[in-house]
Amino acid sequence: MRLAGRISLFFAAASLLLTGSARAATVVKIGAALSLTGPAAAYGAQQKAGILAAVDEINKSGRLKGVKLEAIIEDDASTKEQGIAVFQRFINKDKVSAIIGPTLSNTATAADPLAQGAKVPVVAISNTLPKGITDIGPYIWRVSLTEAQVIPSALKAAQAKFGFKRAAVLYGNDDAFTQGGYGVMKSALEAMGTTTVGTQTFAKPDKDYTAQLTALLAAKPEILVVSALVENASGIVTQARQLGWQGPIFGGNGFNSPKLMSNAGPAAEGVYVGTAWNKPSTDAANLAFQKAMADRKHDPDQFCAQAYTGVLAIAEAIKLSGGKGGREDIRAGFLKVKGLPTPLGTFAFNKDRDGEHSAALQVVKDGKFQIVK
Amino acid sequence: MEQLTDIYLTYQSTIGYIGINALLALSIYVSLSCGQLALGSAGFAAIGAYASALATMKADLPFPVALLVAALLPALVAVPLGLPVLRLKGVFLAIATIGFGEVVRLGLVNWDYVNGAQGIVAIPQKASIWMIYLAVAVTLFLLWRVRGSKWGFALEAIREDEPAARTMGIPSTQYKLAMLVLGAALAGLAGGLEAHFTFMVAPNGFGFSRVVDMLVFAVVGGAQVFWGAVAGAAFLTVLPEALRELAPLVGIEPGPLRLLVNGLVLLLVILFLPAGLVSLPRRLRERRAARKAARAPAGGAGAAA
Repeated sequence: MRLAGRISLFFAAASLLLTGSARAATVVKIGAALSLTGPAAAYGAQQKAGILAAVDEINKSGRLKGVKLEAIIEDDASTKEQGIAVFQRFINKDKVSAIIGPTLSNTATAADPLAQGAKVPVVAISNTLPKGITDIGPYIWRVSLTEAQVIPSALKAAQAKFGFKRAAVLYGNDDAFTQGGYGVMKSALEAMGTTTVGTQTFAKPDKDYTAQLTALLAAKPEILVVSALVENASGIVTQARQLGWQGPIFGGNGFNSPKLMSNAGPAAEGVYVGTAWNKPSTDAANLAFQKAMADRKHDPDQFCAQAYTGVLAIAEAIKLSGGKGGREDIRAGFLKVKGLPTPLGTFAFNKDRDGEHSAALQVVKDGKFQIVK
Repeated sequence: MEQLTDIYLTYQSTIGYIGINALLALSIYVSLSCGQLALGSAGFAAIGAYASALATMKADLPFPVALLVAALLPALVAVPLGLPVLRLKGVFLAIATIGFGEVVRLGLVNWDYVNGAQGIVAIPQKASIWMIYLAVAVTLFLLWRVRGSKWGFALEAIREDEPAARTMGIPSTQYKLAMLVLGAALAGLAGGLEAHFTFMVAPNGFGFSRVVDMLVFAVVGGAQVFWGAVAGAAFLTVLPEALRELAPLVGIEPGPLRLLVNGLVLLLVILFLPAGLVSLPRRLRERRAARKAARAPAGGAGAAA
């Protein structure tokens, strides 16, 4: 009885102490504009999990003395109209210190200028268009590698493995992201001295790609290079295999989703994808990330790792500017971020405010992404 | 005062979009007013948006001139489009005009000069809220003048019974074409304003779902009168943002639930107010009158007993 009383007293005191210290901490608000509904919802869900986990872990670790991060997550429904509305809320109503997102590049080109105008730092976590994102202004930063940073090195790694000379290209031309990816693939293939034996396009609503694939395969390529979102990618891979294509398939960033394997099944075997996140890496930061996600019973993908990294970069910036979490403090801190351990590897921002870390080539083997050494 | 400014800044884009969406809804309404279900407005808006963006960015034209281009170019396109397709009626006209919109969208997707699917970015923000609302006000004034004029009666006659209207000597083809052209100009103007309000335009913003949105604005607001389109656009533009405000109060996390409530409200309006939001005051009046009428004889009977 007395013991129980003492224990409860202890807990009461401890909780008092905890709330006391929490109250003393300054709260730094971070707004996250994510596509939780609409066509990009699959990516948004991963990002939300990554951001919440990162904020939680940082607050628990006490890495930021006297600063408590608070994430405010809003849905932009994958539309530019709501993306802008969310940014204006973050800037003027919630008065956040930094904004993470938005999920889609098209939305970013509409919403980021508002943050630039209001001098609120933005961290892009999934915008991979090489041009038109960080060029918006000095307040726009990004942790996601652009297609131009991932695809050329990954294609080179694939060429080292297969020594291909003839490539056929298939891409979605009605989507900003897949079209941008195609541009990078095209110039990378040219730079490698590869002959492009055929180029075909499809549109997002398409379900049947046999006409395009038949034409491409008739030109006798040695590799099939595809820029597509994961829904299309699954169909393309399946139908290429059905048409008898046994060779390697190289995919853009849209292939970076476990959905590829769940949708395409065994057809996905032998698909090569450049990735910003080396999942099996045994770096301490990556293991910590994987443990944090496992604790939350969430199976992370690259988008989750990038979102997590976005929060880490903001936390580091706050730390580097002496624990101050104002808008200018965070931007000034970004300038100094270097050698930051993240799930994506050792991270720094370059002079164009784009993230720099190593990329890797992975292949689908036994239903899983495995890194090609 | 500072708080007021913050509130205004927070909802600035929503306020602007109410006006833009109102213009788009009106562009559908003007064709509906003579009984034509013409759904080419997304295509016209795309033409207006791209033309005005190119006018300000490539040709360095002043913004009012760019807006004029945004309105006139789609209107010009509407003439050769309208002459053949207005021979179609009902759902066939709808399909043909949707087809036109898709042709425009796919044309832009495949046009490298305007960056294909990535669209035109970094457009200077030149449209302010007052310009958008001035455009809406001028349009509403025009439509108000048309109502009850010779034009207005002719349009109503065509909507109710086109053969009868023709036998009365109303040149129905001209009227229908004129309304299609007016609708194209309004959609193009809205597109031009949007392009200079949101920093970017991309073909995917002008797809089939966009024109469905416009039709829903007009129908939910009330397709019988011109202010119905405005009411519908205002209601449906504010609704998702209002739900964002309400969601944390009732413990809804951001995500699909908000979409669900949005759809539910839409369903209830369509089920219970088939003549649109603008019929709500009348419905309430009627109900009150009916209740009073029901009570009066009952009271009288009681007194007699």
